[in-house]
Amino acid sequence: MYESLAGALLGATAALGLALAGILVILIWKKDRTRKLSYLRFFIQVVSLVGIFYSFTLALWLSAFFLVIFAVTFFSGRFFCGWICPFGFYMDIVALVRQKLGIRYFSLPEKVNNSLNKLRYVIAAVILTAPLFLGALTINPASGIQALFLRGPFRPIDILLSPLEPLIVPFTGSIANLGFNGWSISYPYARDILTYISVPNVTLILIYVFIALTLISTFMFRRFWCRFCPTGISIAAANRFKALKWMPLLHINKEEEKCTKCGICKRVCPVQVTDVYEQKGGNIKTSLCLNCMRCVEMCPYEGCLKMNLANKTVFKSRNWLEPSNSE
Amino acid sequence: MKNVSAEKKYMPEMPQKEIEELNSSVKATSAKIIADNIARMKKTDPNRPEGMKYFDEISNFFGQRPKEIQDAKIKGKKVIGYFCVFAPVELILAADAIPVRVNSGWYDTSKLGDRIVPVEVCPVIRSTIGAKMIGLSPYLELSDAVISTLTCDGMTKLSEILSDSKTIWTMTPPRVKDSPQSLQLWKEEIKTVKTQLEKITGNKITAKKLKEAIETMQKASKAFRRLQELRKGNTVLMGRDAMLVNQAALWDDIKRWTEKTEALCDELEMRIKDKAWACPPDTPRVIVTGTPMFWPDNWKLPTLIEEATPQGVLVGDEMCSSDRILYDPVGIDEWTMDDMINGIAERYLMASTCPCFTSKDGNEDRVNWLINKVKENKAQGVIYYVVRGCILYAMEYTRVKKALDKLGIPVYYLDTDYTREDVGQMKTRVEAFLEMLTARVDI
Amino acid sequence: MAITAGIDMGIQTVKVVILKDGAVVGRAKASSGFEPAKAAEQAFAEALQISKSSKEEVTQILATGSGMETAPYANGNVSMMGADAKAGVFLFPSARTIVDIGAEEARAVKCDERGIMQDFVVNERCAAGAGTFIEAMARALEVKLEDMGPLSLKAERASPINASCVIFGESDVVSLIHRQESKPEIARAVFDAMADRISSMVHRLGINLDVVVVGGVAKDVGFVDSLKRKLGIKILVPEYPEYVGALGAALTAASRVKVGQQ
Repeated sequence: MYESLAGALLGATAALGLALAGILVILIWKKDRTRKLSYLRFFIQVVSLVGIFYSFTLALWLSAFFLVIFAVTFFSGRFFCGWICPFGFYMDIVALVRQKLGIRYFSLPEKVNNSLNKLRYVIAAVILTAPLFLGALTINPASGIQALFLRGPFRPIDILLSPLEPLIVPFTGSIANLGFNGWSISYPYARDILTYISVPNVTLILIYVFIALTLISTFMFRRFWCRFCPTGISIAAANRFKALKWMPLLHINKEEEKCTKCGICKRVCPVQVTDVYEQKGGNIKTSLCLNCMRCVEMCPYEGCLKMNLANKTVFKSRNWLEPSNSE
Repeated sequence: MKNVSAEKKYMPEMPQKEIEELNSSVKATSAKIIADNIARMKKTDPNRPEGMKYFDEISNFFGQRPKEIQDAKIKGKKVIGYFCVFAPVELILAADAIPVRVNSGWYDTSKLGDRIVPVEVCPVIRSTIGAKMIGLSPYLELSDAVISTLTCDGMTKLSEILSDSKTIWTMTPPRVKDSPQSLQLWKEEIKTVKTQLEKITGNKITAKKLKEAIETMQKASKAFRRLQELRKGNTVLMGRDAMLVNQAALWDDIKRWTEKTEALCDELEMRIKDKAWACPPDTPRVIVTGTPMFWPDNWKLPTLIEEATPQGVLVGDEMCSSDRILYDPVGIDEWTMDDMINGIAERYLMASTCPCFTSKDGNEDRVNWLINKVKENKAQGVIYYVVRGCILYAMEYTRVKKALDKLGIPVYYLDTDYTREDVGQMKTRVEAFLEMLTARVDI
Repeated sequence: MAITAGIDMGIQTVKVVILKDGAVVGRAKASSGFEPAKAAEQAFAEALQISKSSKEEVTQILATGSGMETAPYANGNVSMMGADAKAGVFLFPSARTIVDIGAEEARAVKCDERGIMQDFVVNERCAAGAGTFIEAMARALEVKLEDMGPLSLKAERASPINASCVIFGESDVVSLIHRQESKPEIARAVFDAMADRISSMVHRLGINLDVVVVGGVAKDVGFVDSLKRKLGIKILVPEYPEYVGALGAALTAASRVKVGQQ
């Protein structure tokens, strides 16, 4: 008992050490200021993916995750979405493949983007209230591997966890339908479709259509799902209440006078946030922002954009034309 | 696009003899002025950096650089002239052509321009027309096509007048800078220029070539910004010298310019270590904003400032002929053709502070830029320079003054023309302004 | 305390002021003519005589005015605006705006309580807002320059004239004469037109009370009256308004001596 715990601890420590070493290596090795942070983010996404993959083998962790997401997003805005979420990571990889093929991305018209952003509330409302009227549907509570917390009438809330589902899950549950060669393929929301729409054949086709749609839309528009993802809503909802205004401790801050309105921040944003460009200084409060810091990284003016954590600057824009020799 | 027309719509028929006579006389005066300007710059800073030598040579409009371009032209390269800082230099470079800015700073030719347009017209326009009449500007003469951005009324008609003898590619900038449809229009304009460039040069602008060109310009921006950074502390380089270096980027080979500027910066950094200041550290620091000033003739105001008693020093400016030229880099997220074109379009439109624009909050970007410059370069005063006929700059004065008043930075409105006659009067005003700045520091 | 002097090399007249212990002890002027330097020497000698001191006793001499470079004896220069501000506050400690109207130039200076200028504006190149304008109009009216002011005060209303240019103004006046408008009314029109230009200049600077009007034109009661009406405020005029520039130079010289001694 103690031995296994010690082993687990040792393993965790080693993994953490490796992750930190990786971060350090990237910081030292990558000189290009316009890519440094992106590389770091990529690495953290990989580490998170591994971590989530591992934790999915332990059923109980699922519920813990649910709490962690909420806690983290409450205090850090959508930092989770930009840096950890495996579905986001998947979309980043799709974008990377597209880039390598030299194919352009498309941008949604601003109005559409904003209405998609609002649609998020509707989706979230449906999901959060679902337990009240969908109780009857959850006739088939999942087996032991399902999270304890999400059983019974609370099962629909599980949807909020769906983007977390890595593409390959170590357990063979109801998703086995999609598996080949003993591996189970999982896709965000695929399991939910399976749970609620149990019509033979149709379900499977629906799942494939869903996969194809998300893949194509992600290929065309950067981080398409993030624009209306209900999981990312928590902080957006929290922001509506005056008492919770202080909540996101992590946010982008802009110094208006240093801005020359060159428009780079607006263009590089994967979810087309326009507030950074348009707002006249101060903290950027939009709940669409993923805190991926791409704009901060690409802003060519020293100290114009900053990432503040509880009013302390953790990262700021630099004149990236100068390669970083020190630091 | 305007092709050379058979019928001359504006240009007068001048006897060849008169053209030649005027050309040689103005050229002689201009050569003298270039030499005189450089001599005076040397006098102001006897310990002038070695690195400036190169820029003195390259700034000779009738010397080495036009010859180089001429030689390149014989070898089949095309030369693309442009008027405002809106011309996408990256695209010109990617098409393997030579970009060169062709605005005119000659005083004498502005009088010739009076024959075609009334004197109320901005002298920059009149001077350019005059230069074309007598074939004075080597760069304008050498260019195969000229990109003319229709920023102000003067520029719009200038493109028409010049199309009598030059191929003009017009670009229409939107008047409102930050609306989606404006950007759409501007992107189309950029794409049109790209097609025209490909047609005239016969070279296809590929993604690889464009990436190279963008990176070349980024390197130039880097050197440019390094130089501006060095002007923030105690003065190691007089403002006129810096202005000359900045402006040389408009007609020099950009790679060579970058190299030489980096070398100059290295030298200046050594000087900072040695505390070898170009003028006493307590010299009043001045920033100039307003109508662009062009080498060689229109060096009047910076000369007055730096040769005045009490002496002042130009620590920066907000002019499209100097500090604004290469300040903003083209930032690219994904190196796809589309993203690169978008990046170029946005950089040239949205980062511009030309007063021909307005936006949701008016031309606020310009005010912000100026305030930031004043703060970072620790300027004590601002001279708002306007040439007669430049209505856009003249009208924005009140707003700029209000913004600077809040900071307690005195600003002086100085209006002049392309003439040497008012130097005495300007001197009185500039000296009074500098005296005011010193008095504010003294007590 | 030392004796200092200020020389104002104006376009039409050269003015000299000798200052001793913060008090004016001698002042003199001479017409600039073709040799302003000579005129300045003459005026300087005269002023010295009045002040009963010798040239050697004068420790610092500063020149001002449009011809300050040609001034004899001068140790240095001070701008016209700087001199105006200094002298304006010296004469009226409450003064914050000094309007100086000379023969061919008009300027307004904003200053603080120490007599240090904060801002200034100068009229456009045209002399229509300055003394020469009145002179030209007096010529057209065939009235002596000194009589213009008192004459205008008799008028009850003003005739409209163009003040954008001396030449056009003059032809306007001639046509008014032909229409047989009365002389006082035309005279008042001339002053009103000029005051119009000056007041818009002052407005550009912002009106900071008190306003002092100096320079040769300030002696003209007609103009001061017009300006008072245009601005709608009280206007202060010193006793010798034409010497203010020279006085400012002398005062600046005195303060420079003081700084030098410290």
